[in-house]
Amino acid sequence: MLVQFFVPHQSSQVAYELLLDWTRIIGAFAFVLGIGSLFRTHLDKIRRRRPEAGYSVVTLVAFFAMVTIGIFLPTAEQQSVRAAVLAVDTGASFQWLFDNVQVPLDATMFGLLAFFIASAAYRTFRARNFEAGLLLVTAVIIMLARVPIGEMIHAKLPSLYEWIMQYPAVAGKRGIIFGAALGSIATSLRIILGIERSHLGG
Amino acid sequence: MRWLPLSAVVAILVSGAQAAQLPAPTAVTFADDPEEKEGTVGLVRWHAPVGYRAGGYELVGYRVEVEQLEGKWAGGRRIGAAEAKPFEEAAVVLDRGATSAPVERLSPWRRYLARVSALYMPAADAARLSEARPLDPADPAVRIASALTPRPGAPAGAWFDVEKTNVLAWVLVYSVIVLVTIAIAQRHDIYIRPIAGLQAVNDAIGRATEMGRPILYVTGLTGLSDIATIASMLVLGHLARRTAAYETPIIVPCYDPLVMAVDREIVRDAMVEAGKPQNYNPDNIFYVTDSQFGYVAAVDGIMVREKPAANFFMGYFYAESLILAETGASTGAIQIAGTDSDTQLPFFITACDYTLMGEELYAAGAYLSRNPLLIAQLRGQDIGKVLIALMLLGGAVAATCAVIFPDISLLSSIVEWFATGG
Repeated sequence: MLVQFFVPHQSSQVAYELLLDWTRIIGAFAFVLGIGSLFRTHLDKIRRRRPEAGYSVVTLVAFFAMVTIGIFLPTAEQQSVRAAVLAVDTGASFQWLFDNVQVPLDATMFGLLAFFIASAAYRTFRARNFEAGLLLVTAVIIMLARVPIGEMIHAKLPSLYEWIMQYPAVAGKRGIIFGAALGSIATSLRIILGIERSHLGG
Repeated sequence: MRWLPLSAVVAILVSGAQAAQLPAPTAVTFADDPEEKEGTVGLVRWHAPVGYRAGGYELVGYRVEVEQLEGKWAGGRRIGAAEAKPFEEAAVVLDRGATSAPVERLSPWRRYLARVSALYMPAADAARLSEARPLDPADPAVRIASALTPRPGAPAGAWFDVEKTNVLAWVLVYSVIVLVTIAIAQRHDIYIRPIAGLQAVNDAIGRATEMGRPILYVTGLTGLSDIATIASMLVLGHLARRTAAYETPIIVPCYDPLVMAVDREIVRDAMVEAGKPQNYNPDNIFYVTDSQFGYVAAVDGIMVREKPAANFFMGYFYAESLILAETGASTGAIQIAGTDSDTQLPFFITACDYTLMGEELYAAGAYLSRNPLLIAQLRGQDIGKVLIALMLLGGAVAATCAVIFPDISLLSSIVEWFATGG
């Protein structure tokens, strides 16, 4: 992978694509392990009648429902279970379940972020010391500048927001990225050279 | 220049007699495309026929075809056997002033002959061509006049991207620095500054042991291909070794099944190494789902039900980081987070008790293990940071001077050296 980054020749790209394909194939096998773990975990909770066993029942029912509908339910065009099983694309029912169950659930969890941000901000933005006070003032400037009332309070507030986001914020972000990049190179070197082996179980 | 995708143009064949009277393109050549580095695109060049009209016909465009010759070749030498392919259409150019066309999906190991056919139409039909009524090469009125390349050609792939020389140079310099510091470390003790989040690991483990509650460890939402996940696993190994002695359960819900498999091995080996193999419970390390918010919902549920005394969030996270951290805070757990995701660091810093920022996550393995070789690598990282700071300073000065003194080419060269290509 490292060599492929510097060698644009087709042979390098072909080798890279081959390795990616192997990774995807191994990943597909790993899903068998994952599903096995999923079943084991939830069936164990149901068997032991744990308090949260109800959630495990919902999980397993949803799992089988999606698998059954996705693989075995034929679309109007397929008209037979055999055609549905052999088809590459999933049917309209599977897509309906995804669009009307999975997507709204994801959106619901994502919507919680707004409330969590408010609660985190309420706890954090307190001027206990200089750094906390600076964070508080900056956060207030940013929040006000992002809404129309900010410009009504002071015409220069949006410009100040732009300056903060383009200069101090970017500088801090780049510093963190530099450090993380150096750390990742060093960690990769340790792993490639075998100095660090604990992730291999050694 | 207008291009048509490759299509079955087969009807332009009835023009044998007429083609002899129509001028063909000249000086047809097939060569490598210098802009393309992979070696899969060639460039066919030609000279347009003299004059655009002949015998009542008008030149309207060109068709380029390519024949793949038998065998595999490298630098003019045959290196293997491979079947030939007959002429196939590679491009149709509806611009009579065109003198070149790229040919894609080639191989640097094969050789090709190119044929360029000038397409002619009766002048009256050619005058009616427009955007709304483009040329149809299958039109029986179209006549062709072809010319072949005199010798075969092949695209040439680049074995090194010279635009990334500066990146390679830096990677090599930094790697040498790290390796040298690792070699020197065996002779000296190296001081590393205290990192509050890592010093609190023992406190977190002690808290969980005293309260009789488990520890929750989240390895992030990326797979084994992300170095942050591997760094997280290194920390998990050290944590498992320490918790094994106190028989504190550690729960590891996993986002990726491969990560789950590796985590199980790490925890099992850590407990064996700590002399407590009987404490290993593989059911504590389980796969949840690879859906982002489904995983978050599951982990939140674990936090609310199991009420772990300590939460560790180590790895790469996305938008779900604040949901995890806030839910954990609401249960009263001590929380230690570590990520190199610069967009999620602010959320962890506000909601967690301790946060490892960026490189501190990668230093955690060395810090916790106290292995001299790993600690020496931290010194190499610090030297690299100093060099980067000097380069930033030097580059800023050079860029500023390049604007003030534009005549000094050395300054511009220094600035260009730091530019990343590709």
